[in-house]
Amino acid sequence: MNIVVAIKHIPSIADDLPVSGNTVDFDSVDFVLNEFDEQSIEQAVLVKEAVGGTVTVVGVDMIGELDAVLHLALAKGADKAVKITGDDPAADSHTQAKWLSEAIKGMSADIIFAGVQASNDLDGQIGPMLAAYLDMPYIGGVSSVEVAGDSATVNKEFAGGVGAKYEVSLPMVVGVQASVKPPRYAPVSKVRQVAQTATIEKVAPSGEVSSGLTMKKMAPPVVTGHAEMIEGSSKEVAAKIVELLKSKGLA
Amino acid sequence: MLTLVEKIIFILLAITAAGFTFHGFKVIIDSIRKGRPAPELKDVPGSLVKAAIAVLFQQTIFKARKVLSAIHMGLFFGLITYAVVNLVDVLEGLVPGFELVYGGKHLPNAPTGLINAFNLIADVMSGFLLIAIIVFLVRRFILKDKALEYRDNVLLNPKVKAGGQARDSLTVGVFVIMHVGARLMSQAYRLDAGADPFMPIASFLNSMFGASEVGVHVAWWISLGWVMFIIPYLSRSKHTHFFMSPINLGLAKQNPRGQLDPAIPLKVIEGQKFDPGAKQIYDLAWTRVMDAYACVQCNRCQDVCPMNFAEGAPLSPSALEVNKRYLLKEATFGSHADRLLLPLTETVISPEAVWSCTTCYACVRVCPVGNEPMADIVDIRRRMLIDGYEIDSGVQNALQSLATNGNWMSKGKRLRGRWAKEMEFPVKNATEEPVEYLWFVGDTASFDERVIPNTKMVARLFNQGGLDFGIMYQNESNSGNDVRRVGEEGLFEQLVEQNMAAFGKAQFKQIVTTDPHSFNTLKNEYPQFGGKFEVKHYTVTLLKLIEEGKLTIKNKLSNYKVTFHDPCYLGRYNGGFTAPRKLLELLGVEFVEMPRNCENSFCCGAGGGQIWMGKVAPGERPAENRIKEALTTFEVGRIANPTYQKTQLFIVTCPKDMIMYSDAVKTTGNEGKIEVRDIIQLVAEAVGVEEPKVAEAVPSPA
Repeated sequence: MNIVVAIKHIPSIADDLPVSGNTVDFDSVDFVLNEFDEQSIEQAVLVKEAVGGTVTVVGVDMIGELDAVLHLALAKGADKAVKITGDDPAADSHTQAKWLSEAIKGMSADIIFAGVQASNDLDGQIGPMLAAYLDMPYIGGVSSVEVAGDSATVNKEFAGGVGAKYEVSLPMVVGVQASVKPPRYAPVSKVRQVAQTATIEKVAPSGEVSSGLTMKKMAPPVVTGHAEMIEGSSKEVAAKIVELLKSKGLA
Repeated sequence: MLTLVEKIIFILLAITAAGFTFHGFKVIIDSIRKGRPAPELKDVPGSLVKAAIAVLFQQTIFKARKVLSAIHMGLFFGLITYAVVNLVDVLEGLVPGFELVYGGKHLPNAPTGLINAFNLIADVMSGFLLIAIIVFLVRRFILKDKALEYRDNVLLNPKVKAGGQARDSLTVGVFVIMHVGARLMSQAYRLDAGADPFMPIASFLNSMFGASEVGVHVAWWISLGWVMFIIPYLSRSKHTHFFMSPINLGLAKQNPRGQLDPAIPLKVIEGQKFDPGAKQIYDLAWTRVMDAYACVQCNRCQDVCPMNFAEGAPLSPSALEVNKRYLLKEATFGSHADRLLLPLTETVISPEAVWSCTTCYACVRVCPVGNEPMADIVDIRRRMLIDGYEIDSGVQNALQSLATNGNWMSKGKRLRGRWAKEMEFPVKNATEEPVEYLWFVGDTASFDERVIPNTKMVARLFNQGGLDFGIMYQNESNSGNDVRRVGEEGLFEQLVEQNMAAFGKAQFKQIVTTDPHSFNTLKNEYPQFGGKFEVKHYTVTLLKLIEEGKLTIKNKLSNYKVTFHDPCYLGRYNGGFTAPRKLLELLGVEFVEMPRNCENSFCCGAGGGQIWMGKVAPGERPAENRIKEALTTFEVGRIANPTYQKTQLFIVTCPKDMIMYSDAVKTTGNEGKIEVRDIIQLVAEAVGVEEPKVAEAVPSPA
């Protein structure tokens, strides 16, 4: 079974997100793996462990630092890693989906996993567009996948805690919300060992599309006010509150 | 004395016993040798001599249970005496006419004085031995001391569960009574001329039973016949302790307490490749395989274990050693060699117990025979991580964040120095300009909103004291102390490399840390990675500033009554007991010591990665127990003086303690009775540093 995981490298929000002009200041932000992709890598490896096969992880190298992410995926059980040398930190999901589909075309994939969405654009487009380009069915918001023969049982959770079960014939594209088990931990020594021995296949980006959208403005939220701490004895505090309420015309 | 037939029987018996004993010890030594190489031991003869002296004076057992230790001392001296007594008794049996009663009056040219002294010692020691062994038997079988038992949720070898240890104790206990009793009787029966003043007990028995030639023979055989059985038995029981504990003590850990053994032995053996940590028993260093044979299962370690204390946690360091010995015994003396291949998590310690350890070192510190159950636990963790064992989600999140962000709080690297940028004076960046003191702030003190006010206070006092200091801002990574103790050796090495690169960019004379955990690894483990620095804890630096007059105490804090909690990694690990106490003395507070202090301090429960755990064992937590201990300590003074009106403070010198104990005060419902403060808050109050109100009152938009 050929299992493919399409991943996305996105700006980290562990730090304050730096903004310059009408976009993220890509030079002063770290990139991390999209958290839903962590789930889809785990789900892919679980499927491989259940039915056999190979897991190929493929992603667009946005800033030349994707290797670390691919090494981590290999340490967690993926077998092959492919990076598309995009070198464009601003490549949108339409562009990435096109590049990914061109790279995946030759892999004769039986099942393709993608994170259901990513926090940098929140449009959830990679999975559906991959399915469209590759002419496969797509199912998103998935919380578990079990493969048997040439079909898969897929669970999906709706709002309000309602679950649904689907039988889908392969090949297909799955948008993973959560893996059936929490993503495993890859010990650093293993990741480092992989980093020394693994080869990452490089693919040039091919195809050109655009979302047709242009960002007009990007800015951190404006602070509209702050809490004022009133200090003193309870009488003083009470007096100040009365005064405040009066000054605002509320009393 | 013995007839020819008796002599032949005795010699045959002795040869058989010697054979079984030799075999027993050969099996033990062979199994110890199967362990992995241990860190190199220096001056082995010297440390064996030191251990022998410690054993002779019974120094190591008195760290706990003083009364029982005194009785153990009686037992020990009694048995040492009896080694000589038995030799003399054999001579009495084999050499015709050799008899020592009445100062050896039947012997030509006998040194009467010496013989009388020997008789007196042997006689009195027999009494001590009988008393000591009876006390121990009563303690175990009649009083059923809880300290000798294990909680139900602790993994125990089925044979131990079925009472194997108790049977062992009973066998040896009965042996000692029979052996010593029979020996006394054999001497009593020899006294055909009435009492010998140098043998009071034997004389008393003689007054009851008289003298008897047949009695001498029967009693002699009971006394020494038993020995022929018991000596080989010892090598197959927990009483290997008699022989192995002095050796184990002599070969105990020599490296600093705060330096863990490497995950893979440093010693390279041709054709042997080691995986990190321990899965099976022989993955442990040979010195720690030997621990099992030295342990007599006194459970002193269990008494002091903060996690054995917490009812819900299934950890007992002594159960670990007991299980190790039973596993080895069943494999080497029994027919269950296959069990040696089972994971240690099935045979000696449950996975839940492995992950409950706080690595506080209390078990290793208190062990009279130099055992290191904590080191085994860390080795087991190391292999579990490599083998992909599913770990606690909280720990996993922390490790993942440490790998990507260099801190366990999922905060961006650049946020590490944010508190410093909010200060009213510039805090130097040590990686950009030279400083005298490089302040290694640590994760909790840098990021945790509850602790940052204290961090700022340290900065203000350093500044006020004219200390030339700087921090490394985003270049600092977590020191890795707790990462290593969680078993993530690879991540630890990565963090060390990151910090070493940062230190390489900086110019400084010494390092000062806030966190005792960082202090420990920087001081004791970084040198192995080339990082040889002078490392100080901030309590030492503060004390120096005050003693040199750079900070002046303006207000004595006599309105406070305080007690002090020694953090494991400052106190027990690194002996940093005096600086905080000296500071408190200079501040003029009323200081009371909790019963568990200094070396015997009780862990807060946060170390060894416990603070990251998502799941916490039910029942009272160690920190809660500690707060109660502090309140009881205060209460003693209050009863003596009921008009007492001082504010009661629980003083800490570790950012993790600040969090753990502030929580514990709330969860035990003791708010208003006791307040947790970092020592820096008191120093600031006494020295007169005010937090600038304006800067603090407006929280910056996060």
